[in-house]
Amino acid sequence: MELSVFDLSKHLGVAPNTIERWLRQGKLPVSPKGANYRFQTSELEKWASKHNINLKLSNKGIPEKERESVTPLSVAVKNGGVYSDIQANDVNGVLKACLEKISDISDDFKADLFDRLVEREKALSTGIGNGIAIPHPREQLSYLTSPMVSVCFLEHPVDYKALDNQPVSTLFFLLSPTLKMHLHLLSVLSFCLRDHQFTNFLKARPDSVALVEKIETLQKANSI
Amino acid sequence: MPTIRNWYKTIYHKLFHLDDRLLLIIAGSIAGICSGLAAVALRLSLESVLEWLHGFRHYGWAFIIPAIGALLSSLYLEKIAREGAGHGVPEVIYSVSRYGGLLRFRSSYSRLISSFLTIGSGGSAGPEAPVVMSGSAIGSSLAKFLGLNDRQRITLVGCGTAGAIASIFNAPIAGLVFSIEVILGEWKFVNIIPIAIAAVAGAQVSQAIIPEQVIFNHQPFLVGASDILPSLCLAVVTAMISVLFTKVLRQTGKIAKKSSFPLWVRAVVGGCTVGIIGIFMPVVLGEGYHFIQSMISGTFSMSVFFIFVAVFAKIFATAMTLGWGGSGGIFAPCLLIGSLTGIVFHKALFSLFPTIGCASEGAYALLGMTGLISGVMQAPLTGIFLIVEITGGYETILPLIVVSSISSTMSHYIEPASFYFKELIERGQFLRPGTDARILSDLNIRELIETEFIKVSENMVFRKFIEIIKTSGQNFYPVIEDGTGEYKGVIQISAIRKYALDPGMYDMIFLNQIMDTGMMTASLENDLQEVLDMMDINNMDSISVVENDRFIGMILKTRILDLYRRELIMQTSVH
Repeated sequence: MELSVFDLSKHLGVAPNTIERWLRQGKLPVSPKGANYRFQTSELEKWASKHNINLKLSNKGIPEKERESVTPLSVAVKNGGVYSDIQANDVNGVLKACLEKISDISDDFKADLFDRLVEREKALSTGIGNGIAIPHPREQLSYLTSPMVSVCFLEHPVDYKALDNQPVSTLFFLLSPTLKMHLHLLSVLSFCLRDHQFTNFLKARPDSVALVEKIETLQKANSI
Repeated sequence: MPTIRNWYKTIYHKLFHLDDRLLLIIAGSIAGICSGLAAVALRLSLESVLEWLHGFRHYGWAFIIPAIGALLSSLYLEKIAREGAGHGVPEVIYSVSRYGGLLRFRSSYSRLISSFLTIGSGGSAGPEAPVVMSGSAIGSSLAKFLGLNDRQRITLVGCGTAGAIASIFNAPIAGLVFSIEVILGEWKFVNIIPIAIAAVAGAQVSQAIIPEQVIFNHQPFLVGASDILPSLCLAVVTAMISVLFTKVLRQTGKIAKKSSFPLWVRAVVGGCTVGIIGIFMPVVLGEGYHFIQSMISGTFSMSVFFIFVAVFAKIFATAMTLGWGGSGGIFAPCLLIGSLTGIVFHKALFSLFPTIGCASEGAYALLGMTGLISGVMQAPLTGIFLIVEITGGYETILPLIVVSSISSTMSHYIEPASFYFKELIERGQFLRPGTDARILSDLNIRELIETEFIKVSENMVFRKFIEIIKTSGQNFYPVIEDGTGEYKGVIQISAIRKYALDPGMYDMIFLNQIMDTGMMTASLENDLQEVLDMMDINNMDSISVVENDRFIGMILKTRILDLYRRELIMQTSVH
């Protein structure tokens, strides 16, 4: 196989100018053919092993980092569903009542999930202010196949020990199988919740279709 | 006693406060004289024991004499001196490059004794490498006694080596060149003068004690222009023989190491083999200086075929001696094989072209020696100067340079590493001054490590962390477990930028959710080469050093560059 100066510069991770200087100084094994230099792979490998140089010619360039596909928030909300008119009086009650309503989680996991959510609330409240909370477990839920965000509207606002001490009436249950998706959904969600239009829209307690649509337009507008 | 102590103290201080160069010259000449004495002692004792054993050679059981010698030698090295077998030159080179020439005092006599046993009994090996080891250990011990630093000690090791070689061959320039070309590997002004003086001192010692037994008497040779073409061909032959010799030596050693025999059985097997070959071909026995002498003076009488076989017999015998547990060097075998090759070549040349008007057999024996030394050790200058000094004139220098350069180039092409260096290169211990490998091995992880850092807990809320990074200039934060203090991962500011710019995330995440746990870590035991390879492969700019699950510090590429450059300047500066 033959390589050009540019190819070799990519493999060695140096600028083409450097390769040209090395050629001028006679440090690379090459036989000039006309105006352009061509490198023989076998010769280069021999040279690299002799000089203790890390040279990988087999795989072309540096493999691009695999981009794990992330689920958009709208899809997660569609997965999770929207539930309204939930009645409860305190934090634990809210969590319990909401979990019971969420139908996409099998009942076997609910007890464990409840413990984890309570534990997370104990560490630091997930009430982010403006009557909104984002309950989530600290560990990832490997039994989920896809991430889900369940939106629950309470009938009466409840003291959730939120950071701004306001009672909470809207909860986004953020449940994700991987940390990466969790962080992604969390950042998109927090972006949406900074949008005043969106928070006002939430006050109207929309149903699943309307909410997903609203999120989709937000996502499109900001390309997130 | 007190007077002696005071006297010693005064002298010591007087010496110590002398100019650095003067001190090295004085100490170097002492080292040269001592190693010259060691070389003379080994030579004299070898001669007398070979002469004494000569009386037994005609007995049928004589073939076990080399076995007994090899056995005693290997047992001595293993049990009493506790040093590895082999010739010792790679150890000296490694010690010079890695430990500032630090060698044990014991080495100054242990190799002399073991090689005396091996060679004296008839084992096919040379006394030069043991003498080199001994001379360099003398130099090193002298430096220790005088409390000198590494740089001065290396010079004295070079002085000891030069004195030893100069004394054994009565060739001071060859001693100087060998010491610098092979042992030290750098031509430095401050080294050359003490080493030259040591070499002269060593040569003078041997001339003063055994003037009649100087190995190679100076004798003039008539070498003309007609010899150039034949010497070209001879060079090709010697290059081949050199490569063959190196390969056979290494292979036999490998086979011996693979066999499950205990050391002493190996030595006996090797010794017996040499002894049996020696019955039919006494030329392979011992260091062979007598034969070389007779070959140079042209009085060597053996048939062409017999000499031709002797070349290979000697190669095999040397490999069996050195590979299977005997102790000694390859210098003398090189000379013998070279001169045998030269004579075979000369005889073949005359039988093909009877009218050719070229030089005598002795001259070709010398050319063959140069070819072998240049080829096996890949030290062309040593080869040239040794023979120039032996012949005592510059008449032969043109063919010598031809043979030497072609032989070393060709064998370098086939076998890029010389016999002395190959072992070191394979172990990654070939560290010549000013090279990348040397600098990387000199720089220690502990010198590079950045240990001033703020540690954060894995349960810290992101908002608190943001407060920390606002005030600190740190770019990496090790994350540790609460309670145990165990290392969990690391947070790099560049990796969390998108969360840091999103205030909505501040209260939502904990540090263990955003830390990087999959990053490779180094430990203090890693050497810099390994750490750099790790960073290269994974494209990292920094790497955490973790020892026993504790975060010790961080190594940054920028810091490495900084120290690397300073180290390079220090190592290559002229003193």
